[in-house]
Amino acid sequence: MTWLIKVIMFVCIVPSVILMYMLGFSKNPGKKKMIFGVRDNPKFHEGKGQEKFDAIVSSARKGGLIITAIVVILSIIMLFLPVNGGTLIAWILLVFALFGVAAPYGKGNTELKNLKKELGITKSGVTYTDLTSTNTVHALKLAWIILPNVLALLGTIAAVLIDFGVFGVTPAVEKYALTIMSLSFLFVAAIIIPIAVMMDNTRNMVISRDSSINANYSRAKKKTWADMFISFSWANALYLIANSVLMFFTDSESAVLISTLGYTAVIMAVVVIGVINQRQVERRYERDTELELQDDDDNWILGMFYYNKNDTRLNVEKRLGYGSTINMAHPAGKVISIIIVLLLIGSIAYIIYLAVTGQLDSAGMTNIP
Amino acid sequence: MIIRIDEYSDVPIYMQIRNQIVMGISSGELKPGEQLPTVRALALEIGINTMTVSKTYQLLKQEGYIMTDRKNGARVREQITQSGVISEENKLQLRRIVSEARLSGVGKDVLKKLIDEFY
Repeated sequence: MTWLIKVIMFVCIVPSVILMYMLGFSKNPGKKKMIFGVRDNPKFHEGKGQEKFDAIVSSARKGGLIITAIVVILSIIMLFLPVNGGTLIAWILLVFALFGVAAPYGKGNTELKNLKKELGITKSGVTYTDLTSTNTVHALKLAWIILPNVLALLGTIAAVLIDFGVFGVTPAVEKYALTIMSLSFLFVAAIIIPIAVMMDNTRNMVISRDSSINANYSRAKKKTWADMFISFSWANALYLIANSVLMFFTDSESAVLISTLGYTAVIMAVVVIGVINQRQVERRYERDTELELQDDDDNWILGMFYYNKNDTRLNVEKRLGYGSTINMAHPAGKVISIIIVLLLIGSIAYIIYLAVTGQLDSAGMTNIP
Repeated sequence: MIIRIDEYSDVPIYMQIRNQIVMGISSGELKPGEQLPTVRALALEIGINTMTVSKTYQLLKQEGYIMTDRKNGARVREQITQSGVISEENKLQLRRIVSEARLSGVGKDVLKKLIDEFY
């Protein structure tokens, strides 16, 4: 079981850190609408502004590359170390170290905001809204996301009934293992639906004076998100069912590893395809963009966390990566932020507690007998 | 129709929305009988309080530009009552604009051209 933990951790960490680097630190930042969460401005590309801009971008990119390389190298080293309480904590810390890539991104964001002040770039504070497409542009077909999750629910019910002996059959794995696995994947399914609905209801972007262009642009973006969440749901449901069948007939670690790797590969492929599609949409509509979008850079803390008291929306489009993030100034946003921070601190503290008290060893998660 | 909201303007947001909807009706961008977004949808889209949008719609209704009912929401009026007179408030605004233009050295013909363009 210990090597399984190592492989899963490796497969989760390494592609994620590389993807984060690729999304946050573009090769051609001058050609992007956003650079480290700051809206691009023509003054960044004139005389001294260009020199300073290049220096900031190059320094942040270098920092991002170093942190990415460190995480990848440490992950490779960890693959060859035995699993014990200490290395298990190190793996978990490595998961959190992933977010270290965001540090140079945040630094780049702060420096670009300072450069804006230096160059005398003032806030425009202008928002555009298209009356024609208000609340009418949607791409998510609810049935397509509910169907796989109903399958996941049925799979979970079957697993619970089997574990509680209702069918009078005994699975190959230990008691309640089927239930725990199914419930955890059903939990993921339960999170996907509200996020998908939220993304489908995000504000429509106004890039042109032509309402049909705005509607098509918003629809294209929402379609890529909808496709991504529907694919996640199907992958989740199919993995839950396939894994349940596997665990029912065999207690083989290799079989579980292969199905887990397959699941991770599918999720990664869905993310990559989603990112490519989003980029294609942006590229396609770049030439149609004629309106100067709102300069709300100051509401983006480090270019990642949105805090705007004057905005009544709970979710807004992300600046780092794709998807949406919460408005931390919204009452519900404050509650969600506190819960996330508590969950993060709690999970780290709990794992450290388990490792220190030796409970990880007794649970068979380490090499120590 | 595109609405432009300037957070730093001296004109309150409800008035900015009102003015642009009136301009939209006048220019034909908003057709007679055209459905307007619900108060909630428009507030969410702009990211402002529903009370602000509600205030705009109430004002537009009072002025006779739109009609609202529970079933159909807000719509542009099919027939807008034409009083044939400019309100005192608008006369004052026009006077201010003409005065500023005169002080800036803008000729009468330029102003007339602009009026022809906007009318």
